[in-house]
Amino acid sequence: MSTDINKVIEKVLSDEQNVREASAPYVSEFPYDRDKEAQVTRREFCNFLFLTSSAFLVSTAGFASKSAYDASKEVTFTPATIEGSAEMKPGAALNFVYPGKEDTAILVRSEDGSYHAFGQKCTHLSCPVFYSKENKRLECPCHEGGFDAKTGDVLYGPPPRPLDEIDLDVRNGEVFAVARRVRGSEG
Amino acid sequence: MNRLDQKTTYSGSRLQSRGRTAVAQARLAMLIMINLAQLWILSAAIEAALRHSHKQLLALVIASAVCWVISLTIILWWRPAPKTGI
Repeated sequence: MSTDINKVIEKVLSDEQNVREASAPYVSEFPYDRDKEAQVTRREFCNFLFLTSSAFLVSTAGFASKSAYDASKEVTFTPATIEGSAEMKPGAALNFVYPGKEDTAILVRSEDGSYHAFGQKCTHLSCPVFYSKENKRLECPCHEGGFDAKTGDVLYGPPPRPLDEIDLDVRNGEVFAVARRVRGSEG
Repeated sequence: MNRLDQKTTYSGSRLQSRGRTAVAQARLAMLIMINLAQLWILSAAIEAALRHSHKQLLALVIASAVCWVISLTIILWWRPAPKTGI
């Protein structure tokens, strides 16, 4: 009894065997060897490596051209009010976007009451930076980079250049973003 | 063909086969090394793009292109010699 059950279980589980059994009469008409098909010849592997090499070249060139295109693009800035900036207390920070919807930025009001705004993307690998009230600096949580909250300069960590700077204009207690500058670029 | 000639022919064919295998292995090893180098170049390019250092990016693209040309030559020309009936 138990052997019968084992046989049934074996039959149910061994799909491959069933397929092979079922396809056995037709193999001579359609010669197809699964095992051979799964193997890769050295030549095929070499060709695959060449394709990978081509993909790497295309990716590198793509990154370079995208970066060059972004740098050459001339952006015209229109002043925009930063919502909620009037209610900010000294030592507070506020996230906003400028000039586009994807250009995240952070506005910091220092203890002395002055405003400073920077791009929120860390210059290392684009993680969002946040304002640390205890340390009074902008910090990147991903790879522990730190930026000066007043100048945006790198204090420590892997970021290679300062944060993008956003020029501000304060009118009647309300803060306006007027331009965004990329710094530390070699050109 | 006497016995000595047969022996010489056999050993020549075996040597040729060994040589062909060596060339094939060398091709494979070189292609793998080139791929690893290009992978490193790609990661350096991503960092350079984020850093906005375009001079470095240009150098990296040229380096990747040189690697690609080398792998192209390996694929097209550096092949094991065809078998000759020794």
